[in-house]
Formats: sequence, structure tokens, C-alpha cells
Amino acid sequence: MAATTDDTAEHTDDGPAPRSRRRGGGRLALAVSVFGELLITAGLVLGLFVVYSLWWTNVIADRKADRQGHRIRDEWAHSAPGGPGALDTKDGIGFLHVPAMNNGEVLVKKGTSTDVLNDGVAGYYIDPVKATLPMTGKAGNFTLAAHRDGHGAKFHNIDKIEKGDPIVFETRDKWYVYKVYDILPETSKFNVKVLTQVPKESGVTKPGHYITLTTCTPVYTSRYRYVVWGELVRVQQVDSKRTPPKELR
Amino acid sequence: MYGWIWRHLPGNAWVRALISLVLVLAVVYVLFQYVFPWAEPLLPFNDVTVNNQ
Repeated sequence: MAATTDDTAEHTDDGPAPRSRRRGGGRLALAVSVFGELLITAGLVLGLFVVYSLWWTNVIADRKADRQGHRIRDEWAHSAPGGPGALDTKDGIGFLHVPAMNNGEVLVKKGTSTDVLNDGVAGYYIDPVKATLPMTGKAGNFTLAAHRDGHGAKFHNIDKIEKGDPIVFETRDKWYVYKVYDILPETSKFNVKVLTQVPKESGVTKPGHYITLTTCTPVYTSRYRYVVWGELVRVQQVDSKRTPPKELR
Repeated sequence: MYGWIWRHLPGNAWVRALISLVLVLAVVYVLFQYVFPWAEPLLPFNDVTVNNQ
């Protein structure tokens, strides 16, 4: 394209006939080359979008989650240990540790809207079924969601969890140790029954202290949901050195 | 298109290459900062919750 137009511009003293013929061909060539360049550009932009989704959102989300996590640890360190729950839970209620997912601690915050989850945290459900928080001591289901890919991808390795694996939830004063007892590798995204206080789909019939992890599956899509259920095994008091329970050592 | 931009940049080849690089980085910045965050919720890749909708 460049050569053709440069030529026409430079050799203006050429005869009129060859110039007009060249112009006509040049115009078509120009249109084709612009179209081609637009296609190449579109390809590059889509490629960049993949880079953005799978890498850059993780960088941003991990940074935010780290900052919020540090703030909570600071708050915990400065508030009276064992005191009544005058705890500000706006920044988050605690940390989730799942050794099988091999991704350290995951901050847990209120809500499962994209705004919350995009900060690289796990959110507990407030809609459509409200989660029962373990700190309340009531029987119920502690239901959580987090991203499978991008935005921290906190539940990326959810498929590495097997029955019997521990899930530990850490709050300021207590370690809640759960044990995975059932896994649903694929379900409809409309299947809100998995969140009920007694999740019958996992085979339980009596009220108890359950935990439910949900995310999307297969990886890189949002077609189905992956669900992992656990049941509370024991509650351990946090000691002065915050020694983790034996499941995390 | 790109040829046209190249020919309208000032300076010699090195200066033009430098300006081109800056332009490319500017475009990438705008995409990452504004365009992709806007486009992402419109695409069905990142719904992780179960819900009634």
C-alpha cells in the first residue's frame, strides 16, 4: 500500500493513462489492505483480552486481596483477643485455607456480586440463599463462591479437592475445621438447592454445620457450577501465636 | 492504515519507531484500563455463583 501511493505521489509527471489505471488498482489494494489491517488489529485485541482476563486481572485482584488481608490481620492483632464480637466485618470476616487447592489463604467477604469477587476474595452468599456464618454457632450452611479463572482465580484448583480433605476457616478467635464429604463436579447454574441450609443433594438429611464452595466449571467458561460440600469436624481456639490446626501444618 | 500513520509521523525512522511504540503502549493502556473492564461483564466467562436468574 505504502509503495503504491508513494509511487503515484512521486511520479506526478507520468502520463495520465497509466496514472489513472494505477489509481484504480491502488484504491482497491488500499481497501483490501485496510480491511486486512483491521482484521489483524481485531486479532491482536482479542489476544490482549485473553492476556487481560487470565493474567492482568489476577495481578490486580491479588494486590487488592493482599492489602485487605493485611488490614484484617492488623485489626485482629490490635483488637482484644477473645473479646466480644465488636468486629468490623466490612473488610472481611476471615480466611479460608484449603490445602488441596494449594493457594494459601483466601479472604472471605460478604456478598457474591462481581464487585466483591473481582477483588480476589471468596464471598459468602447473601442472595438467593443467605449463608449461615460459622461464628453464629447456629446449624446451617456456610456457602461461598469465588472465581475459577481471572480476578485472583481463588477456586481455580477446586477440582483438586477430594473427599476427606480439610477446609479450614480462620476467624479472629477460632479455627473452624471442616471435612469434605461430597463433591458435585457439574450442575446447572440455576441449581440454588445446593445452597440450602441442609443441602439434601449432598446426601445429608439433618441440620448440621456445613460449608459449601461453589465456582464455575469447566475452566475458562461459566457453563456449569462445581460444588464441594464439607461438614464441621471441630472448632479450635486461636492461641496467642496463631498456631494453625494440624490440618494446615 | 498503519502505513498512513507511519508516513504522517515526524522525524526519521528511529523517531517514528519510538513514537509508534509510545502509541502502541497508549492503546494497550486504554484497552486494559477502560475497554476490557467495561467489556468483561458483558461476556459470559466469569459468572461463578448459582442463582435464580
